[in-house]
Amino acid sequence: MATIEVDGKTIEVNEEGFLARPEEWTEETAKLLAKAEEGLDELTAEHWAVVTFIRAYYLEKNLAPMVRKMCQATGFPLMKIYDLFPSGPAKGACKVAGLPKPDGCV
Amino acid sequence: MKRRRPGPSGVVEAPLNATAQAKAKDEGRPSVADGRLQTYEPGDNVRRFLELLSSRVSRPLAVSLTACVHCGLCAESCHYFLARPDDPTMTPVWKADQIRRIFKRHVDWTGRVAPWWIKAGSPRNDEDLNRLKNVVFGTCSACRRCTYNCPMGVDTGLLVRFTRGLLTELGVVPEGVFNVSRDQWETGNQMAVSEQDYLETLEWMRDDVRTELGDDSVEIPIDKDGCDVLYTINPREIKFDPRSIAQAAKIFHLAGESWTMPKWGWDQTNFGLFSGDDNLGAFVARNVYEAAERLRAKRIVISECGHGYRSTRWEGYTWAGYDQKLPTESVVVTLKRYIEEGRITVDPSKNPDAVTFHDSCNIARSGDLVEEPREVLRRVCSDFREMFPNRRENFCCTGGGGLLSMAEYRPLRLEVGKIKADQLRATGAKLVCTMCHNCIDGLNDLIKHYKLPMRVVQVLELVSNALVLPGKGA
Repeated sequence: MATIEVDGKTIEVNEEGFLARPEEWTEETAKLLAKAEEGLDELTAEHWAVVTFIRAYYLEKNLAPMVRKMCQATGFPLMKIYDLFPSGPAKGACKVAGLPKPDGCV
Repeated sequence: MKRRRPGPSGVVEAPLNATAQAKAKDEGRPSVADGRLQTYEPGDNVRRFLELLSSRVSRPLAVSLTACVHCGLCAESCHYFLARPDDPTMTPVWKADQIRRIFKRHVDWTGRVAPWWIKAGSPRNDEDLNRLKNVVFGTCSACRRCTYNCPMGVDTGLLVRFTRGLLTELGVVPEGVFNVSRDQWETGNQMAVSEQDYLETLEWMRDDVRTELGDDSVEIPIDKDGCDVLYTINPREIKFDPRSIAQAAKIFHLAGESWTMPKWGWDQTNFGLFSGDDNLGAFVARNVYEAAERLRAKRIVISECGHGYRSTRWEGYTWAGYDQKLPTESVVVTLKRYIEEGRITVDPSKNPDAVTFHDSCNIARSGDLVEEPREVLRRVCSDFREMFPNRRENFCCTGGGGLLSMAEYRPLRLEVGKIKADQLRATGAKLVCTMCHNCIDGLNDLIKHYKLPMRVVQVLELVSNALVLPGKGA
C-alpha cells in the first residue's frame, strides 16, 4: 500500500492514489488529497458542493455518481467540474471525496 | 518445472484478490449464477487449465507457439524491456515462453520426447497459475509492437490474450477485470450505466448543443429507424465525460447527417478483448450489430476508442460469428469525409497550439487506421508534428490491454512509461491528440507522473474547435 505525505501528514492510498479505506474519509483528508493529487491549495465552497454531494451519494448507493448527477445537484454546467477538478469527475472529484477508484475505462 | 524467480519488478508475486468474486457469488449476481462469468474455486485448477489449453489451440496459435527462434528482436520493441533492460522477465519472448513451455510439455510432441531440452514444463498448483496471471495481465499491455517487429511472425499479443482467456475461465484474474466483465455481462455496458441515466445524459448534451448553437432543431435521435449512421460510444463518455458526445452531436447536426443512437447496444467497448473471453466478446459485439440491423442503419460509426474500434470493427464479427453486412468505421473516418466533401468547414488557425498525434495500438497496429487521423489533423490544426517513432511503430500509452482497470500493476506501468514520456517530451507539443479513451488516461497518468507540460485531446475536440459556423465567418 502506498502513502502520500502532505503538510507533514501521511495518508494511505492505493496504487492509483485513491484513499485506501474509503470509510475513513474526513474533511481534513479531502483537503490533503486535493493538495497532493489535484494541486489544489484550497477547497472553495464550489469544490465542497461537488465533494459533499459525491460523498453522500456514495454512502447511500455505494457507487460513484455520474457527472450528470453532480451537475444536477450543484447546478454547475459540465465544464465547471473540469475547471474545479483538473483530473475530471472520476480521477479528480471522486478521489477527493474519498471514493474507491470507479471500475472500467477510467 | 523450474520455479520462476520473481522478477525484480515484484509484479509476478502479486496475490490473487478474489474478494469481489466471492461477494458476487454470495449476492447471487446473475452473471455468476448462470455461469457466464467464472469465479475462482480452490482445487484442481491445473488439470482444468491443461484441458482448456489442449482444446483451444488453433492453427494461428500453434504457429506462434512453435515458430519462435528466440532471436531476441522482440525485446528491443517492448517498452517494458527498454525501460528495464537488465530484467529478462520483461522481454516479450520470456512472457510468451511461460505459456509456450506448458504447450510444449502437454500438446507438442517435442516436449513429450525431450522436455529437458526445450525447457518444457507444467504449472504445479494454483500459485503457479497466479504467477502466470501476473505475467500475462501485469507485464504486457498487449500492444503488439513486438508482433509487428517479429521476423518469424510470432503474435505474442495473441498468446497473451489466449492465456488470459484460459485464466479467466478459472477466475484467476485481477479484480478489476472481473468487476468490469461482470458489469458488461449484466448491464450490456462496462460501467453499469442504466438506460434512464443514458437517455438523460443524452438529453442534457442535446440541450447544451442547442444553447451553444442557438438552434432548437438540434437532436440526439434515439432508436430512429433507417438512418445513415448508427453512433455507438464508450460508457465513460456517458458516466464521466460527455463532452465528446456533445461535440459529435454538434458536428453531425452541422453536417446534416441522418443519425441515431440505439437504446440498447450502444456500448462499442468490449472487455472480452482484454480478458480473453470470446463469449463476452461475442455478446457485446452482437449487441451493437443487432442494434444496427434492428434500426436498419446503413453504417455503424464508432466513437474515438481504441479497443472498441478493434473489437467492433474487426474481432467482434469473428467472436460473434456474425456476417458483416454493414460498413463499420471510426468517427474519425466520418469526420474526414465531412471535411473532404465540404459538409463542414474548418479553420486550422483556431487550433494554434502545437499538436502531436499518438497512434493507439488497437487503432494503428491492430486496426490499420493510420493516415486518416493525420489527414484530419492537418486540416484542423496549424502546427501538427509527428512524434518518433510513429504510426505502426509508435510506443504504447502504457494503459493498453485493460491495464487501467488493474490498479495492482500501476507502479510498474508508470515506471516503464518512461519510454513514452521521453517520446512525448521530445515533440515540444502542447497538445497530444489520441483516438482512444484508454490512451487518454494512460497519457494523463504519464503527464502527471513525469510532469510533462502537455494536455491530452481527441480528434473530435480539435475538429469541434476548428468549426466555422454557417453565417458566422471564420
